[in-house]
Amino acid sequence: MRKPQPNSLLREPLLYRLRAFVAKPANLLLVFFLFVLAVLSLLPMVTMLSNMFTIHMGIEKRQYRMSTGDWTYVHFQKLFEGGDWSRVNFWEPLKNSLIVATGAGILGILIGGSIAWFITRSDLKCKKFISGVFVFPYMMPAWTLALFWTNMFQNSKVGGGNVGMIESIFGVCMPEWFVYGLFPMIVVIGLHYSPFAYLLIGGILKNMDATLEESATILKANRWTIIRRVTIPIVMPAILSTFLLIFSSGFSSYTVPVFLGSAVKTFTLPTKMRALIQAGYEGQGYIIAFISILFGCVILGINQWFTGKRKSFTTVTGKSGQVSLVKLRKANWPITIALIVFTCFVAVMPLISFALESIIRQPGNYSFSNMTLHFWIGTEASAYETGMIAGILLNPTMWEGVGRQVLLALLVALIVGTSGMLIGYSCVRRRGSRLSRSVESMAFFPYLMPAMAFGTIYLAVATSENFRWMYGTFGLLILVSVIKFLPFASRSGVNSMLQIAPEIEEAATIFGVPWHKRMIRILFPIQKSSILSGYLLPVISVMREVALFTLLVPKPRYLLTTMLFSFNETGYAQYGSAVTLLIILIIMIINWVTNKLTGASFDKGIGG
Amino acid sequence: MKRFLSLLLALMMVLSLVPSAMGESVEDALAAAAKMTNEELYEKAKEEMSAGAQLNFYSTTSFAEKAANNFMAAYPELKLVYAEIDDVETYNILTKTIGSGVKDSADMALTQNGPDLKTYLLDEGLAHVYFPEAMKDVVAADAQDPAIVTYINSLLIYHNGNGSANVTNIWQLTEEEWKDKVFFKNPTNETVNINFLIMLTSPEWNAKLEEAYASRYGKAWEKGEFDSCALEFIDGFLANVNYTYTSASKMAAGIASGAPGNMGLFVFSKLRKVDEADRGNLTILQFENKVEGFSGFMYPIYATVFKDTECPYTCALFINYLLSEEGFAGNKSWNSSQGYYSPNKSILKPEDLEDEPYEYWLDCLVFEDMEYIDEKFIEVYEFIATRVG
Repeated sequence: MRKPQPNSLLREPLLYRLRAFVAKPANLLLVFFLFVLAVLSLLPMVTMLSNMFTIHMGIEKRQYRMSTGDWTYVHFQKLFEGGDWSRVNFWEPLKNSLIVATGAGILGILIGGSIAWFITRSDLKCKKFISGVFVFPYMMPAWTLALFWTNMFQNSKVGGGNVGMIESIFGVCMPEWFVYGLFPMIVVIGLHYSPFAYLLIGGILKNMDATLEESATILKANRWTIIRRVTIPIVMPAILSTFLLIFSSGFSSYTVPVFLGSAVKTFTLPTKMRALIQAGYEGQGYIIAFISILFGCVILGINQWFTGKRKSFTTVTGKSGQVSLVKLRKANWPITIALIVFTCFVAVMPLISFALESIIRQPGNYSFSNMTLHFWIGTEASAYETGMIAGILLNPTMWEGVGRQVLLALLVALIVGTSGMLIGYSCVRRRGSRLSRSVESMAFFPYLMPAMAFGTIYLAVATSENFRWMYGTFGLLILVSVIKFLPFASRSGVNSMLQIAPEIEEAATIFGVPWHKRMIRILFPIQKSSILSGYLLPVISVMREVALFTLLVPKPRYLLTTMLFSFNETGYAQYGSAVTLLIILIIMIINWVTNKLTGASFDKGIGG
Repeated sequence: MKRFLSLLLALMMVLSLVPSAMGESVEDALAAAAKMTNEELYEKAKEEMSAGAQLNFYSTTSFAEKAANNFMAAYPELKLVYAEIDDVETYNILTKTIGSGVKDSADMALTQNGPDLKTYLLDEGLAHVYFPEAMKDVVAADAQDPAIVTYINSLLIYHNGNGSANVTNIWQLTEEEWKDKVFFKNPTNETVNINFLIMLTSPEWNAKLEEAYASRYGKAWEKGEFDSCALEFIDGFLANVNYTYTSASKMAAGIASGAPGNMGLFVFSKLRKVDEADRGNLTILQFENKVEGFSGFMYPIYATVFKDTECPYTCALFINYLLSEEGFAGNKSWNSSQGYYSPNKSILKPEDLEDEPYEYWLDCLVFEDMEYIDEKFIEVYEFIATRVG
């Protein structure tokens, strides 16, 4: 018998392992995404890191008497040296950002999670209405909610003394801390992202096998114990994911703190980052961006530690035919009315406010004699001297912006949704492996980077020698959107796949069902609406994103949202309000069409 | 032979259209353009257009779009593509796009914030200055290098619902009475505002502030906590200012419809954004009484041409146009609004506007000096930024 050579002994297990590795589609997907994400997701990170240690042209070059591009750590010295500069530009804003991000995260989960529970697990009345309108705030750009907040609560005793709706109607003047500062920032960001908590947590709750709770009931556990010991642990991954998303968004929010904090001189890290970059202290600005990423990483680490600790969150082991709803009994109508009032205030009132603001000539005057439709359908002859040649519905520039934004949202959703589902599948199937952890983290990474810093970095990339063909193109907008919004879809994908027991797919594998059929015929139908959230969330995100696109569009009125920001910046409040309404309307149409075609929609608590 | 000659002729024509290809840099082309008449420039510009060029230009002022439309009506064979650019992002975008070879990047721009223009574009060789010889007599020398196409002023304007503000000395705005009642855009976000504050530290304005101080408090200013009178003023002023409004337009409309007695320091031309019914609520402090110290500030909009433009002659002709009466005072152009002033002394403001000519503002407004701000920016920025909060 021929003795095996030492080399072949070594080679055969290696080949065998390689073959076994390649045989699993999840592995191939992970390798593919690892490569793509390493290039696209880490590229901005590397660029940002190098910016923290280099001298830029302008002020830095002159102040430190060095050449552009020289390596240095002076930016760290300056930002952390102590004294007023550090306090004002870093420590105070850091404290404010942490308060806002944490507060908004908790508030968002409390509100969104509670409503998700009522909608999915109770016999609450008017569910369709409540769930339908509750998602509106998420469709609006966060800063439009901040504008709504000031429109409502500003009063003659704070800020510029402009009378808001509450004072106008009820004669009540809210205190300054309520109108401006950290409190309204937390509320606005929390409210804005609470539908997100509702979508993610609601999806899990809706899919949850009712027998789990029923078993607890049989064992005489009371309602609170069931929520605490059964429901919350099951939705914990979604809660942590949601907290991570809201925290990171709140931490990197720029426009909300500008609108609600400036009046009381309350600044956050992103506002300081922009001010420093604008003043030419780019190195320090990027350090701040890096620090906000670090905080996000800590939360991400906690999230991963938690989901890693609990080996399984499987809740779907075959669909439960039973839906057991908690009976609210006498509390049903009071809770329903309270929720209707609440959702109307946070969701419908802003729309009414924007509608009114879009038809009044003189701010604060809501009389009929002050109303006009010129900002909607005015012609050149009758429109105001406002920089537009007609009302927005008659303006070709506006319709071009609408077309581009919708096309961008749909294309991005297609790419991001599919990628998110595949990442979710592969990460869950190979859960615990280094490869899976790397891909999951990298897919999430861009979310932690402030949109403004992301835009600046991609501007630099797109104008560099090898990539200049990208600058000003629609393709660049698709690329940055795909990278920036992949985290939504990948989290959604991971969360939904975590719920599906591997045995279901294994059974199909034993019967020789090929991978693509397993995906299309088994996994996708089981978690259809949860997976669809991975497609729909990027639509909303793209439809309302501003900061990411500001630097990358060829002109400010290229997209609908950049046009909106331009209107608000230049004081065309009526046009701004009209465009905001239009954005919400478009998102609602997309939502409605999706609902008609697939049965899934935001208001059904995507994921279920 | 005939074929050869026609080929040669075509080649010569093509080469003559591309200055850089002939060894004529953009800088050389602009130098040549400065000596040409508008008719000659138009011919050259038409050649640039027929070679496939179009003039892409950025501007921070929306009136430039109207000027561009008027320009194209006057010179129908030329094509200008206007893009509004956010003041905050102007130099960030320009430094990355000029010379990068990206498609349809700007050929020229009308930008504010002179010190950044100098630091980021002129000193780095990314932009060139251009000024026509023919205009040298009608435009002051300090508005030629780089060319200033318009001045814009920001004025102290208040809500007169409580009667007169009785502000006759600028130091009053640093006193307790005005705490949170002076509205001003955050200077760390608004470059022209920080430039104005830096200008106050110049010897000239420091002296004027000392004079106003002595007049207000009956004693000469003395060095103590602050190294200069201007720094003490900035400290007191920033302690009182309110940053509620994030744009000049919102500030104008907000003060007009807000609490009586509030004062704003914002762009004069934004009064056009205030509804007619509220316009009467606003009083321009300078028109009510002379203010010891100053009653606002003035900053220029500069025109520069970028080093990689393919149409330097079109750019030159457009700048000529902006400096001319036809360009500046044409249909719906700058001159039709309050608060815009041409450096061309022959262009007067329309008499029916509540405004004054450029010369009127020389004594009462703080003018931006690019060189001084550039020199002092690092020193004073830190002082201001730590007081903004």
